[in-house]
Amino acid sequence: MAGEKERLIGIVGKEHVLEAPEVLEAYSRDQGFVRPMKPWFVVEPESAAEVQKIVKWANETQTPLVPVSSSPPRFRGDTVPSLPGSVIVDLSRMNRIIRIDRRNRMIIIEPGVTYRQLQPALAREDLRLSTPLLPRPAKSVIASLLEREPTLVPRYNWSMPEPLRCLEVVWGNGEMLRTGEAGQYGSLESQWELGLAQVNSTGPGQVDYYRLMSAAQGTLGIATWASIKCEVLPKVHRLFFIPSPRLEGLIDCAYRLLRLRLGDEFLLLNSSNLAAILGGGASQTRALREELPPWVIIIGVAGRAKLPEERVEYQENDIRDIVQQFGLKLVSAVPGAGERAVLEAVLNPSPEPYWKLNCKGGCQDIFFLTTLNRTPEFLRTMYSVAVDLRYPTPEIGVYLQPQHQGTVCHCEFSLPFNREDSREMARTRELLSRASEALIEQGAFFSRPYGIWADMVYRRDAGAAGILKKLKEMFDPNGVLNPGKLCF
Amino acid sequence: MALSREAYRALEDIVGPENISEEPAILDSYAFQWLAETIRPGQSKFMPRPEAAVLPGSTAEVQAIVKTCNRYKIKVKPYSTGWYFYCAPQTEGVIQLDMRRMDRILEIDERNMFAVVEPYVIAATLQAEVMKLGLNCNVTGAGASCSLLASATSYHGAGPSSIFGGENNQNLLSLEWVMPNGDILRTGSLGSGLGWFCGEGPGPSLRGIVRGMLGAKGGLGVFTKCALKLSPWPGPAELPVEGTVPAYNSPLPDNFRAYSLAFPSWENYFEAYYKIYDNEIGYIAHRQFSMLGTELGTAFWMLYNDPTKTLDDIEEFTQKPEIKKLTEEMKIAFQIVLAGLTPRHLEYQEKVLDEILADTGGWKVAAMSQPAMERFTLLYLIRLGHKNLNFVYNGGWLGTFMQAGPPDYVKGYRHIAEEVTEPYQKKGLLVDCGVDAMMGPVGSMGGGGNCALEQFGYYDVADKESTDAVVSWTKDCVKGAIDKGFVPGKGSHYLAMGMTREQRQSSYASAPWLGMYRWQRKIKGIIDPNDIGDELYPTLDEPGK
Repeated sequence: MAGEKERLIGIVGKEHVLEAPEVLEAYSRDQGFVRPMKPWFVVEPESAAEVQKIVKWANETQTPLVPVSSSPPRFRGDTVPSLPGSVIVDLSRMNRIIRIDRRNRMIIIEPGVTYRQLQPALAREDLRLSTPLLPRPAKSVIASLLEREPTLVPRYNWSMPEPLRCLEVVWGNGEMLRTGEAGQYGSLESQWELGLAQVNSTGPGQVDYYRLMSAAQGTLGIATWASIKCEVLPKVHRLFFIPSPRLEGLIDCAYRLLRLRLGDEFLLLNSSNLAAILGGGASQTRALREELPPWVIIIGVAGRAKLPEERVEYQENDIRDIVQQFGLKLVSAVPGAGERAVLEAVLNPSPEPYWKLNCKGGCQDIFFLTTLNRTPEFLRTMYSVAVDLRYPTPEIGVYLQPQHQGTVCHCEFSLPFNREDSREMARTRELLSRASEALIEQGAFFSRPYGIWADMVYRRDAGAAGILKKLKEMFDPNGVLNPGKLCF
Repeated sequence: MALSREAYRALEDIVGPENISEEPAILDSYAFQWLAETIRPGQSKFMPRPEAAVLPGSTAEVQAIVKTCNRYKIKVKPYSTGWYFYCAPQTEGVIQLDMRRMDRILEIDERNMFAVVEPYVIAATLQAEVMKLGLNCNVTGAGASCSLLASATSYHGAGPSSIFGGENNQNLLSLEWVMPNGDILRTGSLGSGLGWFCGEGPGPSLRGIVRGMLGAKGGLGVFTKCALKLSPWPGPAELPVEGTVPAYNSPLPDNFRAYSLAFPSWENYFEAYYKIYDNEIGYIAHRQFSMLGTELGTAFWMLYNDPTKTLDDIEEFTQKPEIKKLTEEMKIAFQIVLAGLTPRHLEYQEKVLDEILADTGGWKVAAMSQPAMERFTLLYLIRLGHKNLNFVYNGGWLGTFMQAGPPDYVKGYRHIAEEVTEPYQKKGLLVDCGVDAMMGPVGSMGGGGNCALEQFGYYDVADKESTDAVVSWTKDCVKGAIDKGFVPGKGSHYLAMGMTREQRQSSYASAPWLGMYRWQRKIKGIIDPNDIGDELYPTLDEPGK
């Protein structure tokens, strides 16, 4: 064992092989309900070459590796070891922004680059990135995209892993591959000289490797850089609300706006979630929840390159006309929330503490994909199970994010709970389990099956599970990458 | 190598005697393929004749056929509408699956903007149906008569409208796939029985092994159904068609504009691409009319729109002063259709376009903005129904280059295409229509950012020397690109069709990206253990095997 540790030290240096008890404890659990498991070591590589050596070492020593790139709080169990003797591969030192190409609106970044780090750097180059809803500041941008977390601007969502494009990957067997157009040429530098910018995500050849890597929870390979498509930084940015007492009252209007590709940021929130975003602590959040409208479409309108004011003006007028047709109102403030505050919030990473922890210190999410028209029925199911378990339904945060230009809708229920209260924890855990089963039974598509969802999901899709297991064997023949996750 | 009677009877039992044939004349109709003469011995117009043509009518029949092929070790090649010669068998001993009986639009989800189609649904059919609902599909460069499923699953799915409507790879949602081993895989939400709306997951997206950049061109099983994301259509429920054959046109709705935009230099031209991307304007954007060559093309389009003229009149047209002037004006030009999803949207796009033109020194070509040409341009680009014109000069056409990339990249190979083409045109071996016979999408992906130019070479299919020349020209195009550091381009795919297995293996082994051929061998090992697909799913043999 000592020899194995020495080999790790030989790869990354002594100061980057961590084994202090408090460090191992920190990586042994997350905010969710997954069983804690202490890792053997934590290693911190700083280059793709080191990652490759670590993976080869793991194959030789049959050591499970758990890739991690974001700092805590973590929530989904995918970064907690499932097997004893695992080594955490913490990629946060690999935090270089390799290239910002304003002309092609493409960037290349390493996995340790966080939203907090990236957005200011992009702004200096007249760019920005469509983000998830208030991501954790220390959330890895690459991890977020690989996890297929929804982003706020559906019309930029040309395909589900957008804006992710090319990757450099170290597969579980230690081989390295560059995906997409990056895989077909020489070095990145020689590609840039020819005018390429790693825009095209497909291939190389007849395989879309980046799709295989998406939502893989680090089980197939470790991404060591990614190219990502950015947006032009808005010169003018407005934000509007379309409030409604009922979710059903917003659906038709949302569809019409999406059809016409109006708006940039486009999301639906209930008052609990909007309060959590704006609130500062439990009591303030609760008070705000009472003040806010029960449901709201939040729609941002940005003027970017040419005629920015005119774009915002025409869109505002068009949106207003349509909203009126549905008997709704387009407003720049609702009781308890104003345009600037919400715009500032949704365009930036979450302040500390993470917004979902604002209310009670803990939070369990249930999220899945569906179509927007079906969301009310899932909401009813969620509330119904919550009532059965006496979970307070007013506390449930709801976030609906149209994706793929409105064809798909991410539906997310957030369940705040007090981590200090064992009964509350147990109840939330039970709610997670029962609601997830009920929602899946009802037709919710848990496309990113973390934790307990994996069994529920792959039971229903044996065809996918069968092929995935064979692919896992191909890319990771010794099963060293994050064993115990998904159907592996 | 005829099928064994046992195998034939097994296939006949699956589809019924009326849906299988071994008649030589019928089989030859499948083997007769455009471009065959460029790779086949003696410039034969025929690819290898299939052993039988089988017409399945359902996924169950496809699965039974594929399982039978596994049992009898018969290669199988599906064919929907075809494009180029890729759908023909590459070797003897292959059965051809003709998918024409599977031609149903299974579902149109208007609100969620997607349609579910079978393999033989062509773009024109789906487009006509979804336009009634205010939606449109991305018609690929292969045109309205081609299968949408094939473009999304098995070949390149870009087209003039991809900048707004997305590339069909991007538009692909759930799909149903009879893999070469006979198992059925349903991707995304469909796999869990939850409908067609999402193609990804659960977990790692198995769409990853479906197609990649260019698809397997029928070499990796049979895709039997797929869902495609649609885009908004702000035009009429039925596209009115007027005009005189062959130059049909469509009256321009008030919220549409169709322009040819010209520029003083290529620098300015490609600068306009970047500005179009950044400003997110355009419903369709394509360099289209230059495909017939910048010396002859303009004259052609003018005479095409004159019902009293034929191709024989083209020389007369080229001599007309106004045509000469227009030919010069159109040399560095592309076409754009603006569509207003609302009246204000159109007004905004018009203003932005004017600013882009002011910035880049570009202009709207007045002659192409005359109502007749504007109407012609609109229908041409929305429907892409004029693909026969690719063959109009003398029956043969081949496209080279088409490496996709940002405008700065495409700008880098454009002149190579001209330089390589010039000697062939000057010698009269290819139609001397102008060394720039390049066309391609301004945005080959949703939102742009990527574009391409395809150089057309027109050859005489009845002339041995000209046919030899187009092959030689294609090789020169590939070499010209590689010599300057570019990837080989489209021509290399055609040439590969004429290679022996050994030649292909040698080519893969020397490719700088040979790792992908190894991974593909492993994937093929999983889903095609009996090797019933063909080599259009390229794999590199293990050393020593």
